[in-house]
Amino acid sequence: MSFWDKQPYLTFVPFVMLFKLAWRNIFRNKRRSIITVSSIIFAVIFAVFMRSLQYGAYGNMLKNIVSSYLGYIQVHKQGFWTEKTLDNSFSPEDITYLLDHENISYLSYRVEGFALASKDDNSKPVALLGLDVQQEKNRLGLDKKVVQGEYFTNRKTGILVGIGLRDIMSLRLGDSIIFLSQGYQGSMASGSYPIIGFIDLKTPELNKRTVIMDLAQAQELFAMPNMVTTAVLGLKNDNWEETQQEVIARVDTNQLEVLNWNEMLPELQQLIAVDKAGGLFVLFILYSIITFSLFGTVLMLTEERSFEYGVLIAVGMAKNKVIIVAILETILMAITGIIAGLAFAFPVVLYFNIYPINLSGQMQEVVEKYGFEALIPTSLDPSIALSHAGIIFFIVLAVNMYTIVKIKRLEPIKAMRR
Amino acid sequence: MIKVTHVTKTYDDGKVRVEALRGINVEIKNGEFTAIVGPSGSGKTTLLNIIGGLDTPTEGNVIIGETNIALLSENQLIDFRLNHIGFVFQSYNLIPVLTAKENVEFLMLLQNKSEAERDERTTKLLKAVGLEDQINKKPNEMSGGQQQRVAVARALASKPDFILADEPTANLDSASTANLLDIMYRLNQEENMTFVFSTHDQRVIDRAKRVITVEDGKILSDIYT
Repeated sequence: MSFWDKQPYLTFVPFVMLFKLAWRNIFRNKRRSIITVSSIIFAVIFAVFMRSLQYGAYGNMLKNIVSSYLGYIQVHKQGFWTEKTLDNSFSPEDITYLLDHENISYLSYRVEGFALASKDDNSKPVALLGLDVQQEKNRLGLDKKVVQGEYFTNRKTGILVGIGLRDIMSLRLGDSIIFLSQGYQGSMASGSYPIIGFIDLKTPELNKRTVIMDLAQAQELFAMPNMVTTAVLGLKNDNWEETQQEVIARVDTNQLEVLNWNEMLPELQQLIAVDKAGGLFVLFILYSIITFSLFGTVLMLTEERSFEYGVLIAVGMAKNKVIIVAILETILMAITGIIAGLAFAFPVVLYFNIYPINLSGQMQEVVEKYGFEALIPTSLDPSIALSHAGIIFFIVLAVNMYTIVKIKRLEPIKAMRR
Repeated sequence: MIKVTHVTKTYDDGKVRVEALRGINVEIKNGEFTAIVGPSGSGKTTLLNIIGGLDTPTEGNVIIGETNIALLSENQLIDFRLNHIGFVFQSYNLIPVLTAKENVEFLMLLQNKSEAERDERTTKLLKAVGLEDQINKKPNEMSGGQQQRVAVARALASKPDFILADEPTANLDSASTANLLDIMYRLNQEENMTFVFSTHDQRVIDRAKRVITVEDGKILSDIYT
């Protein structure tokens, strides 16, 4: 006896008949089938859209991060991130060999210090950022953020001041600001610099306390020639996790720290984690409703068809085949619902990918506080749709356990008693 | 040959104990046209169910051909019913979503018969029950009598050793009953098909060649007419 002879419920011809039975059974109670399929369609659309939106927001956040001041990965002197003093600085020569890494396209060096800024009777503590102004112009588009005056287009002297600080200190173009601070290794740092422009960094907090100057000027002010506090690694692709590990393996970690955006912005990571958990909770509720809805359908189907199942078993149909017919019916409805749901969800997801949702009000402020765009595009990652289609299909299979147990225990005589 | 020996059936739910059959002994030979009669609750349907392998005896044996079906497992019994026993039910019990042709063909599909064999036998059987022009109709498009004739054709489709019919005429009018009995009688005469009925329809009893009367779970009389 061959394997197929021992498994008669797997042979092709009866399967065609079982499929035909299941398919026609769907149309016996059209209203119920429509309700069941509709609930699956709704679940697929809602789940796929919600998750696409959520992952799209995270994707956009990452995109913002790479194009933001922070970057994916930064290298500092060990301990700088927890104690931001100029003494925790290092020489760029210590890491230039990182440019040999296949995923690193450039290294952008910075001096990040603090100073007391004074003009006439006004004085304010400010964050003084010394940047490679040409490189950061290309990377961050800083020149486009200048709202008054000019960027360091043909010069490397002077300073750009945040528009918030301008308003607080009543500053004008051409004014000179005197900075007073502690330089490298306890030296005195002071200097007077003319304002060449005002910059809108989109974040009120940053605008109130940021002053930007060329890296060489900052090194001179803080008396730290050829030293920097920060190096931002420019990546060729988004594979920052692997790149970070490879950089950590190459540098002397006793001297230097290599941090990714997650580690530098733990609040953001927590925000995403909380948001994801919230999304999962909503999905859990949605899938619970769908599970009970499908279970209700399966329960009714099984109870209604018990008589028929009894007849089929009585005339000689193996219970396994009866189970296949019963399960096929719900599986066919599920597949129909899933395919239709994906078909409806795709244009919606595509639309909001092309025309992202524009945040406004308090949400806009919160998002922009982190330096991100207040836009939420949907993600077109097909794994989102496939995973939710898979979850719903799994739910269908799970609720069919009731049918399987019921038919396995069915006694034809009892089932055929009306 | 169906051989029932010392069969008892007791239903006991812990509170009530009912002895449905009390030591039944009976033999039904091939080609018989037998009616099991008796009042409601006499045990005739229980006896028919036990002969058909739909129920198991508390004691005793049911031997069909050379197989003691009391010893078969559930799956073996299902397989045995498919290949050896044809059933005709009081409420026809056709598959509502299949046409007359597909209903008749159904058991042959389960037996993995070839398409050619299925087509030939389905056509022959539907012609034999006078429904060759109704093959594409679904049960709800046919009268009760027509449905029961399809049920007879279905019962015969798997080439069973015998057919068990539980009150086959109970839901039929006189004309349909006469027509159905004619068909079954002709199949019995021409093809030597064994029929065993449970019934209290006098029209069936009148056509039976043997009448077994059951009362209180025992055979009261066994008469060849």
